[in-house]
Amino acid sequence: MTVGLKQPPVDEGRKPQPSAGGRPPKRRRLLTMAKARPWLLLAPALILLAGLLLWPLARVFIFSLQDYGLRQIVSGKTKFIGLDNYAEVFGDSSLWTVVLPNTIGFAIVAVASTVIFGTLVALLMASLSPLWRTVVGSAVMVAWAMPAVTGTYVWIWIFDADQGLVNATLKGLGLMDESFNWFTNPVTFYGIVALNIVHHGFPFVAITVLAGLLGVPKEMLEAAEMDGAGPIRRFFQITYPTIKPVFSVVVILSTIWDFKVFAQIYLMPGGSGSNREVLNLGVWSYVESFGQNRYGFGAAIAVLLTVLLLIITAIYVRTLFKEEKV
Amino acid sequence: MHKRYLSAAMAAVVALALSACGGAAGGGSTGGATDAKGQTLNVWIMKGTNPDSEAFFDSVGQEFTKETGAKLNVEYVQWAGAHDRFVTAIAGSTTPDVAETGNTWTAEFADSGALAPIGDKVKEAGLDGDLVKGLAESGTYDGELYGMPWYAGVRSIIYRTDVFKELGLTPPTNWQELVNVATVIKTKRPDLIPFPVPGDAEMLAYPWVWGAGGDVSVQKGDNWESGLASDKAREGIRFYTDLATKHGFSTAGATTWKETDVLDNFTQGKVAMAISGSWTPATILAKAPALKGKLGAIPIPGKDGGISPSVLGGSHLSVFNTAKNKDLAWAFVKLMSTGKFAREWASKSGYFPGQKSLLDDTIKSDDPLVKSFAKQMVDGGASVPVTPKFGAVQAKKTTNSMIQAILSGQKTVDEATSSAAAEMDAIMNGKKTP
Repeated sequence: MTVGLKQPPVDEGRKPQPSAGGRPPKRRRLLTMAKARPWLLLAPALILLAGLLLWPLARVFIFSLQDYGLRQIVSGKTKFIGLDNYAEVFGDSSLWTVVLPNTIGFAIVAVASTVIFGTLVALLMASLSPLWRTVVGSAVMVAWAMPAVTGTYVWIWIFDADQGLVNATLKGLGLMDESFNWFTNPVTFYGIVALNIVHHGFPFVAITVLAGLLGVPKEMLEAAEMDGAGPIRRFFQITYPTIKPVFSVVVILSTIWDFKVFAQIYLMPGGSGSNREVLNLGVWSYVESFGQNRYGFGAAIAVLLTVLLLIITAIYVRTLFKEEKV
Repeated sequence: MHKRYLSAAMAAVVALALSACGGAAGGGSTGGATDAKGQTLNVWIMKGTNPDSEAFFDSVGQEFTKETGAKLNVEYVQWAGAHDRFVTAIAGSTTPDVAETGNTWTAEFADSGALAPIGDKVKEAGLDGDLVKGLAESGTYDGELYGMPWYAGVRSIIYRTDVFKELGLTPPTNWQELVNVATVIKTKRPDLIPFPVPGDAEMLAYPWVWGAGGDVSVQKGDNWESGLASDKAREGIRFYTDLATKHGFSTAGATTWKETDVLDNFTQGKVAMAISGSWTPATILAKAPALKGKLGAIPIPGKDGGISPSVLGGSHLSVFNTAKNKDLAWAFVKLMSTGKFAREWASKSGYFPGQKSLLDDTIKSDDPLVKSFAKQMVDGGASVPVTPKFGAVQAKKTTNSMIQAILSGQKTVDEATSSAAAEMDAIMNGKKTP
């Protein structure tokens, strides 16, 4: 990634606006200093973010307006084509029939399963003694520490059509006569991806929610129990409202991760483009950019993915703040 | 990361050294030894289906250092992800000095401007008359040679002679016999896969298209026209996929197999017959010595006898524009593709050399394995369309997704071939690519 060092530093608010009178009264100058101080303190972080995040983002957007291929990179010539790439993305029927349904459908299922399973594990851990909590916690961490590539290959082996554990078991139990290739059908393909993602993603949810759970006042829970509230009612009427912000964070982050899942799909048999029914936005963008040398078109897909995520995040954050005000 | 940083630093040092001693490197009549003491030549060599080649390159490295004084740094790159890796390296100017490039990629990389022309050097060395024609053609772009023919390979059918003997079978000579033979294997040796049909290996599908009289894509005027949806091509593709879907000679897993998966399973002794490259028997025997003496090869049978043509594959050695010392790079290319090392590589690996004079020797070989592959190469060698755009078709996996969709039942033969032909035409006629 190129880091734009030439990017003008973001320094809004750093210099106090010259006031109309020319020589500001002492009190007002102090006030503007006070106002500027937070920005001054934030400046290093903001400059870093602008360099590392905003500039690449802007570059991707600029690429998406160009016919940008290997030849353009080597020769250094640019060729702007306006919104043609976007027109092609939106005009591609596979976007609507395959790519978007796969991306969104998978994200919904994966986020829901990850959060539900993670919360259940957190509840289990909250009720354990410190010793067993450490034991379960370490076991959970192992799943988290597994690299995505390694994890994906393990799942591929488990579901391998000819020698995999799942087919062998099903055949051994007499539930299946002939081997089934789990990777060719889009539903079973994404089922395996979901298992992989949930397995890899639930530890984060569990640990975060557990931290929230331990902060829920015991008195309130005990009082509710005295009043005769069962465990389910206690969870939804006391625990959940108390740690709702934790859930919001966990859901937003999981959504972002599950929307842009790439390696776990690309590495699966058929996932790198030969099975067209399983493309999602991330893989589609990669296959077009690097296989076809059409970086402009790939960038347009990437921009689409970013915009989608921004919209979803904005909605989440809005509802979160709205409720906090009430 | 660290390594790349180092080699970048090295390159910078080399550049400085070069500009310092100016004229010394410039004169460069390439006949004699290039003095390049202290320099390092970075080379990418493919691996995956090739036999293990590290020992070979150790001795090449020693000879190279003796001849030029420079060090040879070989990096082995898996075939499977190599195209992406090249493209990314070209985009980021981190290409090696010299690399083995698959013969269908060379024109594409040359088109992007990443390769250095080598035609003059080949002529200077007097090698231009001795290149194997098919490989020289695919290494030429816009009238200029960018890929030095290094080796050629061709795919034929390899089979287990012990299984054929046990069941009293003779190798098939036409498509019907292939079905008959595979049926016997299926019933009498259910532990074996009679004939795998992989869904992610386009090179194994083309022989059936050509064998039925169809075409992959032909140039008509300025346009390319895909022949995959023609009646003849469909007949070939139907026959090929029927081997799996109708006759059950393949396995469920093979629907998502790559060519390397076929090789792995053959090596593990699970496969009776398979289409495989001339370079694979050496690999198989190295990994599974128990199969020694049990390997046979036949040309891919034609529909009613004869031979179904298969892709004349192979590799070039290409010099990249990022190479600081092009004379040194050429010295390596010449060392590899002529004389002793070219012959040794060919005999060890089961490849055919890229030099005509050496190739003629190989074809006269008595080894029955080599003979069958040589017959396929001489009488049944064909080429995929020679254009940079075909690299894009391959990267899009147009043919692979066609075969896979048929095998998995997502599409019928007619549907799959129609959409594959349309996609191929769109890419090759530049509607979608720059």
